[in-house]
Amino acid sequence: MIKKMSMIPGGLSRREILQTAGTGFGLLALRDLLSAQEPKATIESGNRAAHPYAVRSPHHAPKAKRIIFLYMPGGPSHVDLFDPKPRLARDNGKPLPFDKPKLERTKTGNLLASPWKFARHGKSGVEVSELLPGISAHIDDICVIRSMYADNINHTGAALQMCTGEQAFSRPSMGSWLNYGLGTENQNLPGFVVVSPAEVFQGAQLWASSFLPSAYQGTLVRDLKNPIANLHTGSGSLGRQREKLDSLRQLNQLHRRERVMDHALDARIASFELAFRMQTEAPEAFDISGENKATRQMYGVDSPTTDMFGRQCLMARRLVERGVRFVQLFDAPANNAWDHHGGLRESLPARCKAVDQPIAALLRDLKGRGLLEDTLVLWGGEFGRSPTAEGNNGREHHPFGFSMFLAGGGIRGGMAHGATDEFGWHAMEKKVHVHDLHATMLHLMGLDHTKLTYRYGGRDYRLTDVHGEIVKDILA
Amino acid sequence: MIPALVMALTGFSMVASSSDEEFEKHIRPLLVNTCIKCHGPLKMSGGLRLDSREALLKGGESGPAIVPGNKDMSLLMRALGHKGDLKMPPKAKLSDKEVDTVGHWIAQGAVWPNADKLRPPSDKHIVSKEQSRWWAFQPLAKVTVPKVNNNPWAKNDLDRFILADLEKQARTPAQPAAKRMLLRRVTQDLTGLPPSLEEMDAFLNDQSPGAFEKVVDRLLASPAHGQRFARLWLDVVRYADYHDGNPKARNPICEPLEAYRYRDWVVRTMNQDMPFDQFIVHQIAGDLLPPPDGKEPYANGLIATSVLVNGAWDRGDADKEKMVSDMVDDQIDLVGKAFMGLTLGCARCHDHKFDPVSQNDYYGLAGIFYSTRMLLELGTKGGEITLQRRPLVSKDVVDKRALQVKQIAELSAKISELDKKTPKIPPTDPGRKKLVDQRDRLQKELLPEPPVTLSVSEGGVPGSLFPGIQDVPVHIRGSYTRLGPVVPRRMPGFFAGDNQPVITKGSGRQELASWVVSKSNPLTARVIVNRVWQWHFGTGLVRTPNNFGILSEPPSHPELLDWLATRFVEEGWSLKKLHRFMVLSATYQQSSLVGMDLLALDPDNRWLGRYSSHRLDAEAIRDSMLFVTGRLDLSHEGPATDNLNTSRRSLYVQTARWDRNNFGSLFDAANPDASVEKRDTSTVAPQALFLLNHDFVNSQAGYLADRVIREAASDNDARIRRLFELTLSRPPTEKEWGVARRLLGNQPKGDPKTLLHDLAHVLFCANEFVYLD
Repeated sequence: MIKKMSMIPGGLSRREILQTAGTGFGLLALRDLLSAQEPKATIESGNRAAHPYAVRSPHHAPKAKRIIFLYMPGGPSHVDLFDPKPRLARDNGKPLPFDKPKLERTKTGNLLASPWKFARHGKSGVEVSELLPGISAHIDDICVIRSMYADNINHTGAALQMCTGEQAFSRPSMGSWLNYGLGTENQNLPGFVVVSPAEVFQGAQLWASSFLPSAYQGTLVRDLKNPIANLHTGSGSLGRQREKLDSLRQLNQLHRRERVMDHALDARIASFELAFRMQTEAPEAFDISGENKATRQMYGVDSPTTDMFGRQCLMARRLVERGVRFVQLFDAPANNAWDHHGGLRESLPARCKAVDQPIAALLRDLKGRGLLEDTLVLWGGEFGRSPTAEGNNGREHHPFGFSMFLAGGGIRGGMAHGATDEFGWHAMEKKVHVHDLHATMLHLMGLDHTKLTYRYGGRDYRLTDVHGEIVKDILA
Repeated sequence: MIPALVMALTGFSMVASSSDEEFEKHIRPLLVNTCIKCHGPLKMSGGLRLDSREALLKGGESGPAIVPGNKDMSLLMRALGHKGDLKMPPKAKLSDKEVDTVGHWIAQGAVWPNADKLRPPSDKHIVSKEQSRWWAFQPLAKVTVPKVNNNPWAKNDLDRFILADLEKQARTPAQPAAKRMLLRRVTQDLTGLPPSLEEMDAFLNDQSPGAFEKVVDRLLASPAHGQRFARLWLDVVRYADYHDGNPKARNPICEPLEAYRYRDWVVRTMNQDMPFDQFIVHQIAGDLLPPPDGKEPYANGLIATSVLVNGAWDRGDADKEKMVSDMVDDQIDLVGKAFMGLTLGCARCHDHKFDPVSQNDYYGLAGIFYSTRMLLELGTKGGEITLQRRPLVSKDVVDKRALQVKQIAELSAKISELDKKTPKIPPTDPGRKKLVDQRDRLQKELLPEPPVTLSVSEGGVPGSLFPGIQDVPVHIRGSYTRLGPVVPRRMPGFFAGDNQPVITKGSGRQELASWVVSKSNPLTARVIVNRVWQWHFGTGLVRTPNNFGILSEPPSHPELLDWLATRFVEEGWSLKKLHRFMVLSATYQQSSLVGMDLLALDPDNRWLGRYSSHRLDAEAIRDSMLFVTGRLDLSHEGPATDNLNTSRRSLYVQTARWDRNNFGSLFDAANPDASVEKRDTSTVAPQALFLLNHDFVNSQAGYLADRVIREAASDNDARIRRLFELTLSRPPTEKEWGVARRLLGNQPKGDPKTLLHDLAHVLFCANEFVYLD
């Protein structure tokens, strides 16, 4: 088995690389390779095209180095999970006493009390629904934002806004911006991994690089058992492939010799060596079979309810541990699993059961490994759900006020930030728009959201467009 | 903020007295924003106008709207209060605060300063000196070809422009490219394929001075040429075959299933060299063109406009009004960027920050597209839209088939009526038999279902906010929920100047199309000439082909650009002539291999002192593999396939908006969500993984090995030689012989097929296979 070669690009020693890099440009080109061993290496932005993943310096010292976004497609109900509303319980069945906004999908009926109890948890005493006992146990590490709001009432537009900042047009996603801004720490793995077992609304646009170079788009893992495409040698053994790669390197170097100062050719030579290493390292990174039984049990792997999201969470931990910058997990056994227009009393508890234990395990595991302090964990969907009833057992889409939570990476734990009105309808106090959330996430990652720009079509674009205020209250 | 904006729009300034101020600050904007759309100069619902004090006093069918000094007696107050039958505005009641403000104003005597009428504003957008002097907005300059010292180097006038600038910097052009390199370059450039062995031999053996010209003419006449340049154009117009990558999951009502007809039309127009001005006119207003052969419908005209409806839209939006406004925006954005190099979309929410495009200009154009029907049905809230399809056969045929279908249904109904009777009528009953025969005959004669295309027609989307042919109001901050004054449909004021066409009937698309390609509009010719330059030389003279506005970098060779644009128009907007002229230049035929000194002088090659080597695009990489195995299917036309392993050209492998995890995206194919002016060239390990491990590549390597075993002599050296010639268009060098023999010799027991397969695979991965010198 050829693994962890001491020779880096196809048999050249480090010294040989320096020697063959006569012009100095060859050296630069090979630094991506070396940076797998030396993650601190940074490369000037001028060389970005040839080295899209090279580590780049942040604008300021970061509190978080990586992000795990636990995305609940469809819109989890804030008034049933993180935003207790006694008034809603008291006025159950009464009409909402003020006009609903013009923007509505379907007419909802009267107020619907949450069928579930809330209780205070941890030292902080933040209230959480009984549906999330596992997450509740970590409440002192968690900051719940109860005053989120967004602009779009449809899944597609709202999910686009949550993931890219823009509701209608194609823009780069959060993970793309982060990899563009910071590069990635492990050159043997993609820097932005998306795990979505089923298709979700708007699909690839949620992790698209859009006008950023395509190298920054999310790598989609659909099949949890076969996560990365083209990792397995189709023909012959790894040993024979190594021989073929040696021939390739020799041919490429003969070709290269006549062409001065070509980063692109050097980068391409390097990319084949990286690919070769990925074949052996990437499967290991995604493979949870090496985890011990206790860990697997903690995440709920192999237990029918929690198996799928448990695997996703465990995979996420392995990936961030290995330096992947941004991991986005979609809880998607099917499209829009959290879209509870009906069957709320049955389906919401089922969804919570599926994710609660895995998420609790992830928080605990990250903390135990000392990773939580510089890993930002974010939980939420594209919007919340209406405090008024749709039918008699459902809730409509609700972007006007909803909850999300953050933990780790520079976040003050054990707090609830902001508030909706008495009914959980409008975000009222310390409102946090999606753009503000994005600005805050970038800030924690060491990036100034007003400076992380990309010029396209004659204009400088940002994740936060012309908006975004850092939510200072929630910073540790 | 908003009142100030409205006043700026309507051309009024703040006034001093407090009642005047109340009117200007609160009442005027309220009337302008919420009332005069239906009660103003354009429309007088209920016979009522609310655009002057006089009109309010006169009132409409229900009597005077106001009694100054008495708000309780004022009809307007009752309507605003939504208390009686008359509820205004009909859709949404004003806030209590707004109603109180109006009441207060009436109670105070309904002061109307200046006694002027509220009106749709004149365009007071101010164009700065910098804007009006910007190079791209000037007429095409009359340019004379510069004098150069090294005149013999120049093969045509293009070269004199390039050489003049090089000579100013005391530089000389690079050597001419070697013949093998040149043929590989121009064949890939003009057809997206490598040269065949026979073509290479023919060119190498042709020592005549016109040898290269012959090659260029052959390539331009090749059907593969249209396929290559169609793909380049499709990037610009955000073309996609589908939204959903999964054929089984596609919803036929809102998927652009017939988009391929547009792609095929572009291939044909490129091959037939349709004049580019006509090409544009077809895409904006092809449905309105008279059929050249006099026979309705004009299929190509209808098909061409499908580009307007093949956008990345949110198809199931509950907020249908916003969705339609996004569609209109997509069309304005497309027309602006693709044809004129203008970012018109920037003026959706406010006047353009940099270019002389006002928000009124935007809504002048928006009216044109709002008046264009792109959807058959808007769909229910949250439900899917239905794209509009139009038949490609005459109305007679459509009607005839409809009649047949109706008759068959009627006969079938009669038969089943009979069959219900008791006692049962036997099948041999003559009456029944006659009906069955009649039906079966009709069924046999039934015309095939008429082919359809996506297309637009005149008139807005039924059921939308602007359902007919009409001018639309400014959307304050881009939102249809806050409408300002109505703007007449028209071309952007600064650019049209005195040549503003008059829109007399219809949406105005015809006028827009004519204006875009008119002589008075210098942008269109410059923009396409610059694109073609980029397609051949890698970088445009202007480096942002979709944006020639103030934020763009001026051209490296402004005179050359104007000279080429003028020539292009004079030669009848012929793209093929332009391609020919560019590739026959000495500039194009320079070598890319130059020394460090020359590279250091001009790392970006802005002065064209060499040819810029570059990687093949996604389609060319795949097509080249198929080509050298001899298995490439060069056929044209038809729906795209989701099968990457097809032997058809990559143009016919689907581009799906929701699927970005595919071969094309991996190798930087255009993202079809918006117009792409230039593709990136990324170099990432997943590309290498694809080339090393994907079945497609592996199979092609096998086919190539088969071909070499079949065609070359049976010794290893002959086979190695043939592999190099096929993949790299040249025999191996001495050192490469060594590398190849070592690879083949490493497995002494291996059978020749496996060994050659490995070498073929290595050559597919080689830098030289995917990079053009």
